[in-house]
Amino acid sequence: MRLLVPLLLLAFILLLVLWLDGRGTAAAGGGAEADLVIINRGDVFTLDPQRMTYLKDFRMAYALYEGLVRWNLDDYSVEPAAAALPAISEDGLRYTFTIVSDAKWSNGDALTADDFVYAFRRALLPDSASYYSSVLFVIAGAREFFDWRAARTSVFRAGDDAGELWRETLARFDETVGVKAIDSRTLEITLAQPVPYFLDMLCMTVAMPVHPPTVEQWTSLNASTGRIEQRHEWCKAGRLVSNGPYQLERWRFKRDILLVRNPHYHAPEIVQSDSVLAITIDDANTAVLAFEAGAADWLGDVTTEYDADMLAQRSAYIEKHREAMNAMLARGMSLDEALAALPAPQRGERRNVHVTPSFGTAFYSFNCRPTLRNGRVNPFADAGVRRAFVLATDRESIVRNVTRLNEPVQTALVPPGSIAGYRSPEGLGYDPQRAREELRTAGWSHSPTGALMNEQGETFPIVEILWTTNTPRFGWISLELKAQWERVLGVQVELRGVDTRFYREDLRNGNFMVARGTWYGDYGDPTTFLNLFHSEDGNNHRRYASELVDDLLARAAAEREPAARLRLLEECERHVFQQDVPMLVLYQLVQVSMHEPGELTGLSAHPRMMQYYWRMKRSNARNVLAFHLFCKVKSDTCM
Amino acid sequence: MLIRRLIQLPFILLVIYTITFALAWLIPGDPLQQDESRQPPPEIARAMREQYRLDSPWTFYWDYLGNATGVKWLVGAHDRPFDLGPSLRHENWSVNEILAAGLPVSLTLGFSAILIACVIGITAGVIGGVRPGSLTDFATLLIALVGISLPTFVIGSALLVVFSVQLGVLPVGGWGELRHMALPALTLSLPFAAYIARLTRFGMIEQMSADYIRTARAKGLPERTVILKHALKNAFLPVLSYLGPAAAAAMTGSFVVEVVFAVPGIGTHFVDAVLSKDLTLIMGVVLVYSTLLIVLNLAVDVLYRWVDPRIQM
Repeated sequence: MRLLVPLLLLAFILLLVLWLDGRGTAAAGGGAEADLVIINRGDVFTLDPQRMTYLKDFRMAYALYEGLVRWNLDDYSVEPAAAALPAISEDGLRYTFTIVSDAKWSNGDALTADDFVYAFRRALLPDSASYYSSVLFVIAGAREFFDWRAARTSVFRAGDDAGELWRETLARFDETVGVKAIDSRTLEITLAQPVPYFLDMLCMTVAMPVHPPTVEQWTSLNASTGRIEQRHEWCKAGRLVSNGPYQLERWRFKRDILLVRNPHYHAPEIVQSDSVLAITIDDANTAVLAFEAGAADWLGDVTTEYDADMLAQRSAYIEKHREAMNAMLARGMSLDEALAALPAPQRGERRNVHVTPSFGTAFYSFNCRPTLRNGRVNPFADAGVRRAFVLATDRESIVRNVTRLNEPVQTALVPPGSIAGYRSPEGLGYDPQRAREELRTAGWSHSPTGALMNEQGETFPIVEILWTTNTPRFGWISLELKAQWERVLGVQVELRGVDTRFYREDLRNGNFMVARGTWYGDYGDPTTFLNLFHSEDGNNHRRYASELVDDLLARAAAEREPAARLRLLEECERHVFQQDVPMLVLYQLVQVSMHEPGELTGLSAHPRMMQYYWRMKRSNARNVLAFHLFCKVKSDTCM
Repeated sequence: MLIRRLIQLPFILLVIYTITFALAWLIPGDPLQQDESRQPPPEIARAMREQYRLDSPWTFYWDYLGNATGVKWLVGAHDRPFDLGPSLRHENWSVNEILAAGLPVSLTLGFSAILIACVIGITAGVIGGVRPGSLTDFATLLIALVGISLPTFVIGSALLVVFSVQLGVLPVGGWGELRHMALPALTLSLPFAAYIARLTRFGMIEQMSADYIRTARAKGLPERTVILKHALKNAFLPVLSYLGPAAAAAMTGSFVVEVVFAVPGIGTHFVDAVLSKDLTLIMGVVLVYSTLLIVLNLAVDVLYRWVDPRIQM
């Protein structure tokens, strides 16, 4: 009898907890149906458009909010969104936007030009800690305003009048920054100098509007620091007011996000699915299994260690049906349609995994500082040595045998074909002979004993490659680089694997010789990549500095003629990757994703990787199993 | 005795808080640096550090302690009691909300796992312990050995592939219904079940040769009653004392299971928070968990006394 008590108690606690948990879900608005189910790898970090830095957050933003203009995902031209395409003044400085007359917030409030002024000011206040505020620095007075506010708050002492400083800030913004609401529907933006890609930048989430009354409820002025402090709880279901195709119905931390149609959206006809459910699965393997089990329509990034094997199964499938597929492609069918029309895959074949090039590049950085962290001489300060190492690298072998994803190899940073009108120059390819010559010219030659020495009799230091242990792929690549360099150049190479946090610090402090890296572009201009080489750029971890490059970037920024501007940037990139090579660029990053061909439409295959969930639609043939308790699939698609 | 242990509780928590804080503060990295490649301008980094009191460990330590314990609320310096702060990494969520969302999940999973472990473990233990050396005993021992040796991510992934992908009878992940709980709870329970089986088996073997069992048999009690009512009752005691720490471990140590089955529990937050140096979340999870563990151990001690009145606390 006494034995039963503990067990009964356990059962009771269990029931209590279950009840509590169930109550939470019911209160969060159960019973919803989802027309489109996607898998998010990890929860989104924030739904505050001015604060976002992650792709999955951005994608959510394009469902919830609508900026003045947006990208056309097929060719990345700019199309009207919350406003018509602007009238641009002769000198290219003044952009006048007219907001769509029936544009409204999800609570029914009218969307006004002042809402945009509010959002731009928010992005430009250092207090809001917007990672992308520098994007808006092209607006007249914006950078000065940001610097002024940062300087004023940094000298603020407790006891000073925070309210007075805030009023001064507001007045200063209105007077000096080129963002003005002419009337409730007309917004005028004035630039400091003409920027041909300004509209492209305006498509970024940092330029999206937020609902001022909602945000203001969670904003306070800190009297002791003089700063505006933002609490981010306004981004919750029930509080968040958005102006895009969807509104936030439910957000359960690390479980799911449910979006439903915004009843006040001005262009409901473009929205393909009535609701979108984004389920959160952290683990790469579980995400693939969930897709395989039919829990979702789309899995945006597959990062399992066996993704290359999945792609091999796809290649086997395509190879087998090559002729039939080519015939269909020749008749004008899309790849997706053709795949869908082929017979179902047999064992060991698959057609639901897809690979698309992305707007990012994988590379290894060379430390360009004259000395290393511990005072040792840095051989990579010499451009000749850097060239030798780049020439000694066989990229083809890496993408074929190591990553096995056959990524497009690249010798310069900007992914070819990703930016209209820009012709990516060629950098240094694989040339072992020339690599050894470069090393000799740089003063390093092999002594009779086989050691690599310079004229002073110093041996070439052991080359250290820094990689991150949580990205095993870079471990494999680093091993391959070690093998190639040791073989071609006769140097000694060691690997140093560290966790991402240490890696970040090492990178910032210059505590590396060669370090792995990736960079994704943000907007449709080569400068989104090439600014990395500016001597004063905050992300120039290599401390590469070239007067010529700085000058070319400055000249390009001042160039009014778009084509001439791109030629200047091409010249800049050519110089960087043929002469100075501060980084060894390997390949264009690719995105591996999953969807059943023919069962999902509206996906974009453009390298810039954005997806608008409102464009995506599940075909009636697809049957998605309920993943969560309250996400019942519509009965007509289920039966 | 109970009162003395209750009085000890806040002091133990304070020590845990202090040690955790010191360790968490020393983790390299900056919780406000999100992306490995994109850095915020220095002005912004400074403003954020000040807003979250990350500029000085002392301010943070006392500030957080005051908010978390509710002292600040009592003296009117804060608007809420037991405020564990905003998560530094998931800025739209407060630590209280994150814990409120994840704790019931982890507790449910942990408790169900222990329940399953008890059922499997005790049954197997009794079967084996009654006839030591028999074939059934050997079989249960073997299964127990496998349960202890195989890591949960292997068992979990294997169960997933069989039941969800091949057979399609259970969902791959998620949370909300009983069927979501089946695989993760089973996976989590197996190592515990194996241990309980061994404890029960040894207990049974020992009790079955005791004098009172011979007496019970001699007075003609049916074997069933002898085993279940007399032997098991005493053989169960070591299991009971194991259940406290086991329940605690089932609820805290389910990181792997939560990741493999996409269960939105707290085990994942704990590891993620440490990896991204999300100070407020680390402190919040540790505080809540240590309170839970201390209370749970206390509860087991009280139960132990209830089951066996000879034991003094």
